[in-house]
Amino acid sequence: MAAVTHQAQAIELGGSRSAEAASDHELLAAIRDGDEVAFQEIVRRYRNPITNFVYRMLDDYDRSVELAQETFIRVYTSASRYQANYSFSTYIYRIATNLAISELRRRKRRKTVSLFSPFTNDDGEAIEIDPPDLNMLQDETLIQNERRRAVARAITSLPQKYRAAIVLRDVEGLSYDQIAQTLELSEGTVKSRINRARNLLKEKLSAYI
Amino acid sequence: MNGCKNIQQRIDEVDNPGFLPLEASEHIGHCNDCARFAIERTALRELVAAGTRVNAPINFDAVLKARLAQVKSRRSFWWLGSPGLLRLGAATAGLVVMISAAQYAGLFSTNNAPPTNGSKRAEVPTKPTPAPAERMTQDLSVPSPPRAAVGDRAYAVASVTPRVRRGEVLVGRAAAAGHLTAEDGGVVLVRGRNGDMDVQMPTVSVGAQPLLYVSAGQRTVRNIGASF
Repeated sequence: MAAVTHQAQAIELGGSRSAEAASDHELLAAIRDGDEVAFQEIVRRYRNPITNFVYRMLDDYDRSVELAQETFIRVYTSASRYQANYSFSTYIYRIATNLAISELRRRKRRKTVSLFSPFTNDDGEAIEIDPPDLNMLQDETLIQNERRRAVARAITSLPQKYRAAIVLRDVEGLSYDQIAQTLELSEGTVKSRINRARNLLKEKLSAYI
Repeated sequence: MNGCKNIQQRIDEVDNPGFLPLEASEHIGHCNDCARFAIERTALRELVAAGTRVNAPINFDAVLKARLAQVKSRRSFWWLGSPGLLRLGAATAGLVVMISAAQYAGLFSTNNAPPTNGSKRAEVPTKPTPAPAERMTQDLSVPSPPRAAVGDRAYAVASVTPRVRRGEVLVGRAAAAGHLTAEDGGVVLVRGRNGDMDVQMPTVSVGAQPLLYVSAGQRTVRNIGASF
């Protein structure tokens, strides 16, 4: 990927080109020059994906919104240090991932013990005991809700190193290359983690597959 | 078996589970295990992707704007927490402490005369005095406490104990003997005017006592009146 200099991409968004038509890199260059409209456009483009991504990592909507906002604040405050060596989406997902992982670590330090996962694996991660419910469900809505909750719980119970990778891949639809850049890992490691995460999810969600 | 492992890996890594590579499609046509694996993986990925997708709340932008304004206001005072400023503050505090200590030690006192010979200092009387008592005419360059004679009795006037850093002024000395007369018998210590000397007080006597003024800076002892 060719490095793109900020100077080359610096544009006046209030001029002939509209903010909607500008690329992410161009918007970042404009933000660096103090353009508030460019920042609003970046927020408009990424607020939903980032909020959803953090939500799938934490399973806590309010905190997810706070961290999504914190992500944009960091984008704004560090716009001058932004290196346009790869896509902006990778950059912003990396910030969000780091914030989400920090939040997970902070929660882990609190040593809360979930009633669903009183046991831990070799890595110290909680292992969820979620035996499949084999009883018949009464209503399609209930089935959908139960399925969603089961998926959310299954993802939340994954070790965090697998969780970020599987959410970025199967929920957000990023490529292996983008995930590798976001998590600062090799592509082989990313593939391995996603495969491991899917195997774990298959065990937890066997009743729904 | 090794071929199945490779095929399953390719199935797992495919971007769209509905479109498998040709090699994998041919393989699952005659391998039940890999076919089941492909079906399970497809179902799993659809299940995970079909989870509730949340959006940002309506007030997301407004709250973000408020938070950003807070951050900007904090950043305008960034220098308050900068390491350079902290270092400057520490240096200033250290300087203030040093100046205070120096002032307390009297290093800036105007009474500090450069060190000279002790015999020279003894030759500088500030006021002529009539016929001092004989016992008081001893050379005070010897570090012994000065004594004032009253009648037949002699009283210790002051014992000047120098501090280490102020050894140049009145080290082991007292006022010139010629300034002490027979009627002298007391000491007045004026706060802040006696330098950093430790002065031993004479035994307290009952009744009116003559008062002496001992000035370290001027190295004189003067009779300034009676205690009543």
